[in-house]
Amino acid sequence: MPADKVDSLPPRQESARRLERHSLARRVGLFLLYSREASIAIAAVLLIIYFWSTAPGFLSISNVGNLAEYAATTAIIAAGEVMVIICAEVDLSAGMVYALAPFVMYFAHQAGVPFVPAILLALIAAALVGMINGFITVVLQIPSFITTLGTLFMINGFTLTISNGYPVQPKGTPLVTNIFGGNAISQILWAIGVTVLLQFMLVKTRWGLHTIATGGNPLGAAEVGVKIGRIKMGNFILCSVLGGLAGVLDAFRISSIDPLAGGTDIMFMAIASSVIGGTLLTGGSGTIIGAFLGAAVLGILKNGFTLSGVSAFTFDLILGAAILITMVINVRLSQLRAAGGKDE
Amino acid sequence: MSEEVLRTEHVSKSFGRVTALRDASIQLGKGEVLGLLGDNGAGKSTLMKILTGFHKADSGKLYFQGKEIELRSVSHARALGIEPVYQDLALINELSVYRNMFLQREIMYGGVLRILNDGAMRERARDQLNQMGVNIPSVNVEISKLSGGQRQAIAVARSVYANAKVLLLDEPTAAMGVRESAIILNLIRRLKEKGEVSIIIVAHNYAHIFDVCDRVNLLQNGEITFDRRTRETSVEELMNLVLHELRRAKGDIRQS
Amino acid sequence: MKEIKLSNAGGLSRRDALRRAAGAGALISLSPLAGFGVSSAEAAEEAIGKFPKHPQWKFVFVNHVTTNPFWVPLRYGAEDACALFGTTFQWTGSEKSIATEMVDAFNTAVSGKADGIAVSLVDPSAFNDPVEKALAAGIPAVSYNADAKGNKRLCYIGQDLFQSGKALGQRIVEGVGEGQVAGFIATPGQLNIQPRMDGAREAIKESGKNIKLDEIATGPTVNEELSRIQAYYTGHPDIKGMFAVDAGSTEGVGKTMAANKLHEKGIHAGGFDLLPTTLDAISKGDLDFTIDQQPYLQGFYTVMVLFVYKISGGLSGLAEINTGLKFVTKGNVDPYLSTQSRFEGSSSEEKVLTRSGPIS
Repeated sequence: MPADKVDSLPPRQESARRLERHSLARRVGLFLLYSREASIAIAAVLLIIYFWSTAPGFLSISNVGNLAEYAATTAIIAAGEVMVIICAEVDLSAGMVYALAPFVMYFAHQAGVPFVPAILLALIAAALVGMINGFITVVLQIPSFITTLGTLFMINGFTLTISNGYPVQPKGTPLVTNIFGGNAISQILWAIGVTVLLQFMLVKTRWGLHTIATGGNPLGAAEVGVKIGRIKMGNFILCSVLGGLAGVLDAFRISSIDPLAGGTDIMFMAIASSVIGGTLLTGGSGTIIGAFLGAAVLGILKNGFTLSGVSAFTFDLILGAAILITMVINVRLSQLRAAGGKDE
Repeated sequence: MSEEVLRTEHVSKSFGRVTALRDASIQLGKGEVLGLLGDNGAGKSTLMKILTGFHKADSGKLYFQGKEIELRSVSHARALGIEPVYQDLALINELSVYRNMFLQREIMYGGVLRILNDGAMRERARDQLNQMGVNIPSVNVEISKLSGGQRQAIAVARSVYANAKVLLLDEPTAAMGVRESAIILNLIRRLKEKGEVSIIIVAHNYAHIFDVCDRVNLLQNGEITFDRRTRETSVEELMNLVLHELRRAKGDIRQS
Repeated sequence: MKEIKLSNAGGLSRRDALRRAAGAGALISLSPLAGFGVSSAEAAEEAIGKFPKHPQWKFVFVNHVTTNPFWVPLRYGAEDACALFGTTFQWTGSEKSIATEMVDAFNTAVSGKADGIAVSLVDPSAFNDPVEKALAAGIPAVSYNADAKGNKRLCYIGQDLFQSGKALGQRIVEGVGEGQVAGFIATPGQLNIQPRMDGAREAIKESGKNIKLDEIATGPTVNEELSRIQAYYTGHPDIKGMFAVDAGSTEGVGKTMAANKLHEKGIHAGGFDLLPTTLDAISKGDLDFTIDQQPYLQGFYTVMVLFVYKISGGLSGLAEINTGLKFVTKGNVDPYLSTQSRFEGSSSEEKVLTRSGPIS
């Protein structure tokens, strides 16, 4: 409420007063209802309860491990996509960089590079793809949908060419394999680590702030002096690197590097995770924790339905319906939030 | 007149065959509020764009704080302290008040990490807004939830905080109701009282001009045809000038 | 035109249908449906044939291209066997040969305590750990359709892929004699088809004849395969023979041969599996032969192997089963064309097929 009366309290005291009025319970309730990630978290909890009661072995330790592995790499790619989407762009090529990076690692190692530097080289190759995406979008002014659609095919073709279409096995010492995705714990730690780091970056650093500004009002931000070109370029690079990292982790997880591994499926899952987690496709607003939860929800749905015995044909039907329903709930809760919330 | 802060001499600017400014000479003193009136196509926007460094004049001179200067770019103008203030253009809807105020001038914890110091920014923002008499429920509110007048006020506050010396307001009260306009006009009056900032306002609303401006210029056909202190003229006089031109344009009166 | 009905997998009991419906409607009504998510072990026991009562065991088939029509007869075979033995099966995996999806589905089956898992081992290493985990958990794991060296699966039910490739190679040698031939393969490196190409190459080498085999990748989807084969021919009009090692590519070769009337030019062609268009091509002479790996048996025998293993407490059941290497040519293709049956996947109807005359 605009308070432009001359005799109202200065803002600081006004808000302090208001906070005191709210009891703890009410504040927790408000937080749950109004935080952007709340709705997806609630959906996740509801789904867990549902599958726990209907699918045998859903919460067994081994299945939780499976679930984590399902969701971890999607969450990592989603984190990168969120940053790009907040800039009001999109990266469709992340799924292909996911397939390319482990091959770069493999060939580097074949050429004599030790394990960890080979992984770094893979990430550098991924960053290069991000740079290409950024350059074409920012400098040549091609819409990112088209740009990354083009690089999607190019990288796919490139990967197939350098691999001759043959899958290979990643080489690594047991330590390297375990650290880089060889077991569920390392996958979860990577996913959580990336999520926490990027969420912090989004809300507490200049880069994150300028990313939001770039996506929310590119003209206005440029007016003020924000380097929107650099921001977009940087986020494209970040997204590709995370795509490459996810690819390396999954390669060690299943000990196979497959040129067909990447593709549009995992990219769509990553973008879907971002969106159902609360990131707006129009840009200017997003949450990486939400994307993590979104990936978790998708993983729960896939894993839960497989456990329940749903077969391949009806699977996609049910998964699609579940995603839509989750989104509808999510959007309704957000609308409630927007309508009610003039609160802090 | 108080110390001069901005002056143009015989500035002209054409775009192809269209002459936007023919011979524009204006002066702005420190702490002064200058109202710029004129019809569309008279050249107001062009003049403002030259002052903010967006365009380069074809001929004429520009003086800042008494020294002749050439503005290389908008950033250059901004660095000198000449800032345009737009209502919608430069604010990010999704960000809070204090984050908007500090955009591109963020306060950070030192060191390599460059983490935003939200606490300090909130405090300074509150202080700044209090000083300027702008009342906002909280500096944490998202800009999108504020009214037009409040948003404009925040944009002005941002420039003032950045030590702008000259503010260029292009139609600040356009499309605003009475209450909203009052917020802005009060703000301008407060700034005038402080005497640190000089302001040029482009406007159409005579009442607003006479409410806050010290002087008023009339720009007609690329030239300043009227320059008087508001105390020494009246709404009527200005309107007659404008009507005169209107009739001339319609061909009713022969040139006198 | 042959009609292929894509039927849903699994046993046909009402309980299963209800279970599936419950899964779909669950998100809309989150009421406790615990009764419907029941595990196979808790289901009522059934007695079938001379076998005593036993739980309705659930076997999970993990596949690499779940929606490919090639698997239709395999799923009919599995269904018929399940009905016979009182078991059920779930059909899952990946649609596009994505190994991570298959591994995920496999691991989920292990956590879900499936009674048996059958997997098409299309990747040389991705399934080694998962299979070991399944065995460690006491779940029998077998492979069907494709096999991998070094994997600890209990047995393999399917065609001997390398041998079938050699048979293909021998036919190439007999038919072409000398010159350049193309070998089309959907996804190189995949273990359900690469060994065939390798076998063909080996057979050609052994023959000592001057034949150059060009290996061309055609892609995992049928439409892509056709365009690539067509494109290849346009670029190599002097080719002496076009052969394929997977169902989709074989179909594509048949279509390309027909479109360009290549059979009349003396070009030889052949491949694998009995897609309806492939059979048509054989009867019209565009393809010289195709090799049947009897997918119906791959489904049927796999269920049987797992069932006997379970009901004998692991004492019996495991057996390496070669589902065959039958050449279907113009001479014997007629019965395939004139009937539509579950065995070929062209009809879901249960019927008795009869034959007459001596067996050639």
